Amino acid sequence: MKIFDLPDLGEGLAEAEIHEWHVKVGDTVKVDQPLVTMETAKAVVEVPSPQAGKIKKLYGNKGEIIKTHSPLVEFEGEHDSPQKDKGTVVGNLEESTTVLDEGDMIIGAPKQATLAVKAMPAVRALAKQLNVDLSLVSPSGPQGQITAEDVKKHASLQTNHSTKTKMPGQVEALHGVRRAMAMAMTHSHQEVVPVTIIDDADITHITANSDITVSLIQAMIAGIKAEPALNAWYDGKTLERCLMKDINLGLAMDTEEGLFVPVLKNVEQKNPEELRNQINEFKKTVKARTVAPSELQGATITLSNFGMIAGRYATPIIVPPMVAILGCGRLREEPRVINGKIEVRKIIPLSLTFDHRSVTGGEATRFLGALIKKLENKA
Amino acid sequence: MAEITLVEAIAQALAYEMRKDETVVVLGEDIAKNGGVFRATVGLLDEFGPERVRDTPLAESMIAGLAVGMAVEGLKPVAEFQFMGFIYPAMDQIINHVSRLRNRTRGRLSCPVVFRTPHGCGIHAPEHHSESTEALFAHIPGLRVVMPSSPLRAYGLLLASIRSPDPVIFLEPTRLYRWAKQEVPNDGKALPLDTCFTLRVGTDVTLVTWGAMVKETLAATELLAREGISAEVIDVATLKPLDIDTILASVEKTGRCVIIHEAAKSGGIGAEISAQIAERGMMFLQAPVQRITGYDTVVPYGRLEKYYLPNEHQIVNAVHQAMEYA
Amino acid sequence: MKIVARFEIPYYQILDENSKLVSELPEFAKNPENLIKLYRLMVLNRLFDTKAIALQRTGKMGTYPSTRGQEAAFVGVGNAMQNEDVFVPYYRDVGILIQRGVKLSEILLFWGGDERGNCFANNKKDFPYCVPIGTQLLHAAGVATAINIKKEKRAVLTVCGDGGTSEGDFYEALNVAGVWKLPLVFVVSNNQWAISVPREAQTASQTIAQKAVAAGFSGEQVDGNDVIAVRERVSKALDKAREKHEPTLIEILSYRHSDHTTADDASRYEPKGTREKEWTKEPVLRLKRYLESINVWDDKKEEELAAECASEIDKTLQEYANTPPAAPESMFDHLYASLPKIYEEQRAALKHVKGANHG
Repeated sequence: MKIFDLPDLGEGLAEAEIHEWHVKVGDTVKVDQPLVTMETAKAVVEVPSPQAGKIKKLYGNKGEIIKTHSPLVEFEGEHDSPQKDKGTVVGNLEESTTVLDEGDMIIGAPKQATLAVKAMPAVRALAKQLNVDLSLVSPSGPQGQITAEDVKKHASLQTNHSTKTKMPGQVEALHGVRRAMAMAMTHSHQEVVPVTIIDDADITHITANSDITVSLIQAMIAGIKAEPALNAWYDGKTLERCLMKDINLGLAMDTEEGLFVPVLKNVEQKNPEELRNQINEFKKTVKARTVAPSELQGATITLSNFGMIAGRYATPIIVPPMVAILGCGRLREEPRVINGKIEVRKIIPLSLTFDHRSVTGGEATRFLGALIKKLENKA
Repeated sequence: MAEITLVEAIAQALAYEMRKDETVVVLGEDIAKNGGVFRATVGLLDEFGPERVRDTPLAESMIAGLAVGMAVEGLKPVAEFQFMGFIYPAMDQIINHVSRLRNRTRGRLSCPVVFRTPHGCGIHAPEHHSESTEALFAHIPGLRVVMPSSPLRAYGLLLASIRSPDPVIFLEPTRLYRWAKQEVPNDGKALPLDTCFTLRVGTDVTLVTWGAMVKETLAATELLAREGISAEVIDVATLKPLDIDTILASVEKTGRCVIIHEAAKSGGIGAEISAQIAERGMMFLQAPVQRITGYDTVVPYGRLEKYYLPNEHQIVNAVHQAMEYA
Repeated sequence: MKIVARFEIPYYQILDENSKLVSELPEFAKNPENLIKLYRLMVLNRLFDTKAIALQRTGKMGTYPSTRGQEAAFVGVGNAMQNEDVFVPYYRDVGILIQRGVKLSEILLFWGGDERGNCFANNKKDFPYCVPIGTQLLHAAGVATAINIKKEKRAVLTVCGDGGTSEGDFYEALNVAGVWKLPLVFVVSNNQWAISVPREAQTASQTIAQKAVAAGFSGEQVDGNDVIAVRERVSKALDKAREKHEPTLIEILSYRHSDHTTADDASRYEPKGTREKEWTKEPVLRLKRYLESINVWDDKKEEELAAECASEIDKTLQEYANTPPAAPESMFDHLYASLPKIYEEQRAALKHVKGANHG
């Protein structure tokens, strides 16, 4: 408020006379502080200040008449000379002290790395209902999307065909390790394109008490040195493969519960004693079910020494994203022709399965050749 | 270099371009001597004189029609309509002539004009001063519709609009005019038209908005970040032609989208974006696209204004719904 | 009380209904060649007009607004303009367009429904037809403003009908022309009808010319059937615009001797007998009789002219008929200076439309 008009001092009086000023120009006053005493026809009235402020002007001297509702006192305000430009013709523009920093502003969209899964909402709902992981389903839709059919096909593989098999007798649902094996094998079967090459190795020179497993591992290291392509991971969706520097060897172990594959990390850096120790350690922890989940992950190639009891050659299964698995069957004695003479030799059967999506036949055979050479101590 | 407000950035851009290009002429009501009611054209009359900086008689259809004639005769008129609520008398000129002159003469004549006007509510102004009817213009073939949301983008996009050979409706968010300051180098560099701007990169949800609602959207982004939800914020900026690719790329990444605009819901540009996401981005969606908008009412007078304008809490709630959907 | 303003509205006529001179001949008219030129243009206009209506009636062209009986009103105006002036038409001004380099076939193309009819091959500056009534007057004001800013010595001429003078844009254009001193001539082609609404129902103003007074400049009426007066008065107004930056409003009084367009039926509202009465003032015969009276025209010349016009119109019809149809996707080709990416899909869809002639 700038100008304070003389208020109606009572009963509609038209005017009043300035009796005495209590302030002068330049004074700072508080609310309710007496400004002036006015004399009306009826009384002498003190007029208090309606606001705090600085007195700019007094509209009359002692003895002068001021009409009711006419200017009496002027206060100084922020709107004083010169009038600040409000910069608008209506309303109020908010001003803040905010300073914007848009160094991060990107024109268009930021660059993205991964491709998202494409599926219509209805298909996503169906997948949820059927407990299907969309990231595992191969899309067959025209725009690269997963269709309802794709989901159903995947689901039926997971749950043993759309019509439930009638099984006479006691039915047990698979749990734990057995269940994991069933799902992993199914997944592998859907994805991997396996080729198995079989061969034999003459390990007569290895003494009976020697450790076959460790020899096999060292032979595999030699094979990988010759052909790194078999120590790799492959992604069927993106058609990308990654040759691994470390050789993390998964060693298949059979227990009452089922199949476990603990991973011996960086076998290429370990000596035979270290390897043997770690294998024994794993045997204990696997049997006791105390092996940590992290120790069952990250394998880059697998060895399955299955021939303890029976079995010569096999077609071992690759678990993606790995691309190779070596199976070793039962040791046997066999007559062989050595330098023109027949001798009894110790032979172990080898079965190498490789994923032909990522590994060529040439790479596989060169791997196997180097492996056998090392085993036969000819490397 | 000083930090300047959005309206100062507008004035800076106009002065820059008028120095560089003598065919640029500015006209409108109260824009010369008064420098514009929001001071968007302050200083131009002194520097460029009354031939190029013209106070017009009070007639909006006339302003638009004059601009058509001036543009055909080789000038680049930048006309101001004092408020969006007063551009309506010019709709005939805009829809029947400005937007289609190039098309109907098969390129013989064209109409490189810029029509600037303050847009939106939130300044407690009297009625008719708070319009947000950008959808009317975005519907008209042949027009470009541009709305900056920061001083930097106001500068760069206005330069681009003046330099564009096509007509541009340039909507300036009134309540952001003086809200924040920003460093805006006066280097004459235009920003590209026809593209969105990603203001925040995020992974959980895409927030699409424009104009003054960028303010509330960024505030919502802060609130969401505290809850561990990472929001990507896209400022559409050019409402027509729409850069749907940037929006789709974001939705592909996040799977969730909330569109925020202060304009009324029905027939707003949020509906157009939503339809395009449904057509081409449905496969990535984890939740329906939502729109947080003004109500389908006349913008209320000052006292009820705050109930009309969407706020950051509504945005946050919408995001929660999207996150919990699938 | 004192009178603070008065106004006067002059009416101009040089050649009356009986082909007699009632005022002194202006300079240009003293050379008969110039008058013959005007006559030839009016005859061509009339013959073309008849043919255009025939084309519409035989399904070869769309709706078309006839200029029958208004030839002098337009030919006289067009003849007064300089090349460097700018013309902003409404839609009935064939007589002006043909003097501005617009081809007759382009006129047929436009009314035949093809945008290429607005892409005048020989005229880069004039505006195309304007359908939203009166809106072109503001464009003319804009052009005139630009001419002022560029400090050029050119004028702008724009036309609207008597109906157009009721539109808001008419007043806004007049107003800004007056206050900004625009080099602009407003021609109101008052043919007494705005479709079915007669002039008396359009405005209570005694003349349309006096509306200029309210905008601060002068207005006058001219006999629209007198091509010499039309040509002379428009010429003077253009000079005034060019030299002094003073606008003028010229109300040209004529009569619409046709339906509003080929889609209209004037018999529903036009009082019987009016047209016949007005026809006695028609402009082509008026000038012909005058030319004959000063011995510069005869039947032989008339025959030759008819043949020339017929031949030109035939050529025009050929051009029109032989114009290959526009490709459907051309809808997108001049939407923007360069088509934004988001519309390319739609354009491509049009390109593959079956059954369309891709010319």
